[in-house]
Amino acid sequence: MLTRRDVLQKCVALGSVVIASNFSPEAMLAAFQDREKQVRKPTPPNVLGPFYKRLTPVNNILRAPGDPGMPLTLFGQVFNTRGDVVPDAMIEIWQTNHHGHYDLEGYRYRGKLTVGKSGAYSFESVIPGHYPDRICQHTHYLVVAPGHKTLVTQLYFATDPVFEGDPAKNYSRDPLLQTPELIRPVMLTGDPNEVHAKVQFELCLERL
Amino acid sequence: MRPNIASLSLLCCLPITLLAQSARQEKTINLPAGASVEAVSVSPAGNLIAAICSDHVVRVWSARSGDLMRTLEETSECMYCALAFSPDSRRLASAGNSGVSVWDLAARKKVATISPPFGGSPALAFSPDGKLVATADGDGFVRVHDANTGALRATATEFLVELLAVAFSPDGKSVLAGGADKAVSIIDSETGKVARVLPKQSGVVSSLDVSRDGNRAAVVYHSAESFLEENHVILWDLEKGTVLADFQKPGIVMIGGAFVRDHYVLAATSANQLTLWSLP
Repeated sequence: MLTRRDVLQKCVALGSVVIASNFSPEAMLAAFQDREKQVRKPTPPNVLGPFYKRLTPVNNILRAPGDPGMPLTLFGQVFNTRGDVVPDAMIEIWQTNHHGHYDLEGYRYRGKLTVGKSGAYSFESVIPGHYPDRICQHTHYLVVAPGHKTLVTQLYFATDPVFEGDPAKNYSRDPLLQTPELIRPVMLTGDPNEVHAKVQFELCLERL
Repeated sequence: MRPNIASLSLLCCLPITLLAQSARQEKTINLPAGASVEAVSVSPAGNLIAAICSDHVVRVWSARSGDLMRTLEETSECMYCALAFSPDSRRLASAGNSGVSVWDLAARKKVATISPPFGGSPALAFSPDGKLVATADGDGFVRVHDANTGALRATATEFLVELLAVAFSPDGKSVLAGGADKAVSIIDSETGKVARVLPKQSGVVSSLDVSRDGNRAAVVYHSAESFLEENHVILWDLEKGTVLADFQKPGIVMIGGAFVRDHYVLAATSANQLTLWSLP
C-alpha cells in the first residue's frame, strides 16, 4: 500500500509536483499534510434575491435606536477553503426589518463593510421578520474577495419556529434551503429585560 | 422568492399538465421521480415546450406529442432559472446560477456561454432577429449579448435594484425591463442608455411582453410583500406612456403571458387551477 510520502515522492519524480530548491521533500510533506488538515468546506450558496440593491452604503450598524425587534449581532470571519483568513473581503448583507418588510426605496437593513487583516466582521441588526413569500427568517450575504469566487448566500436562524427546534430534521420545509449548514445557532445574552441575540456565521470562499 | 419560479412550482406540481387551446384537450408529461419544474417556456412556433427541472436538467418536449425531444444538462444548482426560445424556435437560452447558455436544439450543442454576474439572471429574452440576448441580471444591471458568441454588446447601469423581467421591442432597437424598481424602462439596445420610463406603480414588475406592432406592452405587477397575492396587469400605450387597461380579478394570481396576434394571453392561478385570460 502506498503511503502519502510514497505518492508525494512519485509526484516529485514525475514532475507533477515541483519543489523549490530550499524546500526539502520532508518539509514539503509536513507542510502539505498541515494544509490538508486545515481544509474547510465552502459556505453553501443560496439565492440572491429578488431584492438585492446596488450601491449599499458602507455601514455595519443597521439597527436604529428604538427599532422594533430583538437586537442581533452577526459576526464571524472570512476564510478560504485552504483555511487561510481572507483579508480585504467585502461583505454586504440585507434583510427585512422586524415586520418582514424589505426597504426598496432606501437602504434600511442594508449595509456593507470590508474586513481587515483578521478577516473578522460584525453587523448590528435585529432578528429579521418573516417575509410573506418565504418560509424562513433569513439574512442575505454577498461576499466578494480578490482571487476568490463571489459568494451569494443566506443565513438562517435555528430559533426560527418553522424548524420546531430541530433544524437538522426540518430544514427542508423551506424549498430554498437545501442544507442545514446555513442554519446557525442563536446565542441569547443580556438580562431578561434586554435580551440580545448573537449569531456567528463563518464564511468560507472558494479560491479561483 | 422568484415570482415565476414560485408560481410555476405551485402550478406544475408533478406531472406537468399542458392545457391545449381546447379546454378538453389535456396532455400530461411525466418527469423523473422527485423532479419538479423550476421554469417553463413554450416556443414561438408552438411546437416545443422547455422546462428547467429541479434535477438541474433542461428538458425539451414536443408540445404536440409530449415526447421528450432533448435533454440539456446544465444549471449546476438551478438556483435562478429562466428560459427563452429564439423567435425561430431553433435556439433556447437557459439562465441558471452557472450562467446563461444558448443551445442550438437541432445540432444538440451549446453555441454560446455568457458568464454570470453574481446572483445569476432572473430573466432573459432574444431579440426579434435572434442575434442578441438581453439579460436582467441579479446584480442590478441589464446586459445585451451577442447570441452567437456571448460577447457583451451593451450594459444598462442606471438601475439600483434587481430587475425581474425583460423583453425586446419588435424592431430590436429597444429593451424593456422592469423589476423591484416598480417601473418599466425602455433601454436603447445598442448603447444601454435608458430612453424612457413608464410611470412607476406600487407593485414590483414580474413579467412583461410587447405587442407585435410595438404599440403596447403588457406588464404584470405584484406586491413587493408577496408574489403569491392577488395582483394586476396593465396594458400600456408605449408611445403615449398611458394606461390602456388595468386588469385584476379577485382571487387570482397573474403570472405572465404573451401577445398572440392582437390579444394578450395571460396565465393566472386560482384555487389550484391554471386559467388563461385573453385581453384585447
